[in-house]
Amino acid sequence: MGVPFSIRGLDKKFGGLAAVQNVDLDLQEGVTTALVGPNGAGKTTLFNLATGHIIPDGGEVLLDGKSVLGQSPHLIARMGVARSFQDLRLFGRMSVRDNVRAAIEPTAWLWQPGGGSAARKREAAVDAALDRCGLTKQADARAVDLAYAERKFLSVARILATGARIWLLDEPASGLDPHSRARFVQLVRDAVAEGVTICLIEHNLDIVTELADRIAFLDRGAKLAEGAPQEILRDPKLIGIYFGEQRT
Amino acid sequence: MIAYLLNLATLATIFGILAASLNVLIGYAGIFSIAHAVFFGLGAYAGAQLALQFIPDVLLACLAGGAISAALSLCLALPALRVRGEYFVAASLGLQMMAVTVFSEAHALTGGHGGLVGIPPATLFGADVSGPAPFLVFALAVLGLLLLAVRLLMRGSFGRALMAIRDSESAAEAFGKDVRALKTLAVALGCAMAGVAGALFAFYMAFVNVESFTLEQSILVMAMVIIGGTATLAGPLIGVLLLLLLPAGLSFLPFIPPTQIGAVQQLIYGLAMTLLMIFRPAGIAGGRR
Ligand SMILES: Nc1ncnc2c1ncn2[C@@H]1O[C@H](COP(=O)(O)OP(=O)(O)O)[C@@H](O)[C@H]1O
Ligand SMILES: [Mg+2]
Repeated sequence: MGVPFSIRGLDKKFGGLAAVQNVDLDLQEGVTTALVGPNGAGKTTLFNLATGHIIPDGGEVLLDGKSVLGQSPHLIARMGVARSFQDLRLFGRMSVRDNVRAAIEPTAWLWQPGGGSAARKREAAVDAALDRCGLTKQADARAVDLAYAERKFLSVARILATGARIWLLDEPASGLDPHSRARFVQLVRDAVAEGVTICLIEHNLDIVTELADRIAFLDRGAKLAEGAPQEILRDPKLIGIYFGEQRT
Repeated sequence: MIAYLLNLATLATIFGILAASLNVLIGYAGIFSIAHAVFFGLGAYAGAQLALQFIPDVLLACLAGGAISAALSLCLALPALRVRGEYFVAASLGLQMMAVTVFSEAHALTGGHGGLVGIPPATLFGADVSGPAPFLVFALAVLGLLLLAVRLLMRGSFGRALMAIRDSESAAEAFGKDVRALKTLAVALGCAMAGVAGALFAFYMAFVNVESFTLEQSILVMAMVIIGGTATLAGPLIGVLLLLLLPAGLSFLPFIPPTQIGAVQQLIYGLAMTLLMIFRPAGIAGGRR
């Protein structure tokens, strides 16, 4: 199996604070990796470094073995990396449908390449993504007017419709009710079955156990451990750090 | 009376183009420029100089005005790419202030404070179109054409990408949108349209000077867009009609002493704008926010 996405010795300091220190992470093809760790561990920052939203102080980000360090986020996205944001960042004043359309239209010059047949394919992809995320009825509503769970699903629908092969999901299931959570788990399973490589940040250890093939454990910017879920989740030291921080 | 109405209609058409052009920046791209009168002015000076030095063809003047304003729109695009929100507003204010100084001092190009006078009557392919009715028809045709272009662009992927950037720049980038290129293009488009409006204005007034391109003018146009409703086709036009017709209508009210009209207008504007933003923040043509 290939390693489409790989992070080597990544470092980032914010002022005096080492948000990410010397982190290595390989995302293997078709494997779902969960990033776990207490709040402030540097998980979101790691995503931002990987997608070019923040430039690292040191280290490497490799896509299919080639460095994408210093590339702007839109170019990294065009190579097949899609991400969600912890605070969603929907296109609030646009309709649900236009949110997904805008996400998948390739280059936004005056005319789209491919003409009518490509446009029909895109519309079909939009419809399919909205359907799988349960948003068909809300297609014409504005994103800001959606309920909380619907907003979370819209952030997934945008990614789903792109057909990206690597998904980075930042706390996509946080705050979801059990019914929505089950739908989300199914969405991720379907994507994995279609060959998508996923890395997700998740606090709910049930979801982590359900979805993740591997867990990387982050604390204070450093990767403390990485391995199969049963190893990591049975390590009393890690669990101590995790729940210790959670309670404060 | 007919002449008065034609005059109002022509001014409303020219300001309609100007407001629609600012709506491209504010409504679709989320760029809150308070330097829009600068690009109106650049188009006006360019159109006036073309007419004075070479040929008074109003179509050529519109093209020249649009081209000059589009080229110099980089002065606005550069800060728009670097800073956002209130920082950009401040940067565009700086540009506005600089431009007024340049307009007042660059005598060779702008005629300085006196402005450019004696702009010859407008022609179109050699035919005289300077009469009030033909000129209004031409201006309306330009407005219609530009509104159609804006509608096509904003309903398509270009518009969606711009609005995505407006709503979340980082998410737009994460979905492959080239934010720098798109913002630069939107600024160029909006400023080019303002330049076209400026060229029409120069012919219509037959003279131009810096008084028409000041901060007050920029604010008036911004008020038109915001009151009418951003990111809609009709909004800016409604704003123009209100803000141009209101003063005209007020001057007919018998109980306001003529010397007080200015002050009363200001009070009514201010009150209307405040109430509107409280009760209908998306503008008159906008939906709920
Ligand atoms: N842009 C930023 N500027 C300064 N500090 C930041 C920035 N982003 C994150 N941090 C800090 O870096 C640390 C890691 O943050 P983050 O990656 O968001 O953690 P997590 O997602 O694991 O909760 C936190 O202490 C946070 O305050
Ligand atoms: Mg986070």
